[in-house]
Amino acid sequence: MTQLTWDDVAEGQEISIVEETPSQRLVIWAAASGDFYQIHYDDSIANENKLPGIIVHGALKGMLVGRLLDEWIGDEGRIVRWGVSYRAMDRARLPITVWGRVTRKYEDGGRALLDLDVGVKQQDGTTETTPGTATVELPRRA
Amino acid sequence: MPELEDLTPEMKAAIGAEVGPPAVWEVTTQGIRTFARAVGYTNPVYYDAAAARAKGHRDLLAPPGFYGMPIYDPAGPANESNSSGADWENVFPRRLNGGTEVIPEQDVYAGDILEARTRVTSLALRASRMGQMLVREAETVYTRTSDGAIVGRIVNTGLRY
Repeated sequence: MTQLTWDDVAEGQEISIVEETPSQRLVIWAAASGDFYQIHYDDSIANENKLPGIIVHGALKGMLVGRLLDEWIGDEGRIVRWGVSYRAMDRARLPITVWGRVTRKYEDGGRALLDLDVGVKQQDGTTETTPGTATVELPRRA
Repeated sequence: MPELEDLTPEMKAAIGAEVGPPAVWEVTTQGIRTFARAVGYTNPVYYDAAAARAKGHRDLLAPPGFYGMPIYDPAGPANESNSSGADWENVFPRRLNGGTEVIPEQDVYAGDILEARTRVTSLALRASRMGQMLVREAETVYTRTSDGAIVGRIVNTGLRY
């Protein structure tokens, strides 16, 4: 794949991926992260905790935003930082859209940088559960 | 659970303090691949050391945000209850993850030995639709033990209710 360069990107540009959240995937995440809290794989325990059913791990949503950025910037790009807030729950078994939008394109100390708004949206298109921001560095066009 | 008027003295004393002793562990190939699979990566640099080396890496590369994970202590308490944590936070029996910020500093590879130190940076009480919440922000700094380099930081916001 051709390496994305800073010069290729415009403010306002949008990126996204759609991810499935079956219970099996949440169990794989539990193993990967060491978070075995049952509200992510046991509906009855989720209900006891005032939840409508099992929910997607916040940290998995955060790391999906990291993957969105990582796949977009390619091997020569670098993530400076990203952060998200888990404002609302995403019920498991429903697809989610992980998205980003470039808000600022600038240079700082010789580095070619982009700021983005990022987040996770439910498929009804209205509920924004996981808002955040990110900064990435890209190579300049040769 | 009682509605608190203010943070308890134990909560106030915890602000700025380190959480437990520093933890040290190895970033493993299996840990990297499991994390990569769970998050849905397909880039071979996270699965195949030879593919990573072909891209100029020194070994199997860890995806962004992965700093390995603590080694389970089979003799330790099962970390699966609703109330794992310090006594002052177990006043609130339930927990949720409130947010994550990742600040990568250097690439992390299979075989790296990392030390993690976590410090509570702020505590606050907040009203929510599920009742009063204790909002706990903590920063974990990950250091590569071979040369002392900081490889990344994660700021986590935890919610207890």
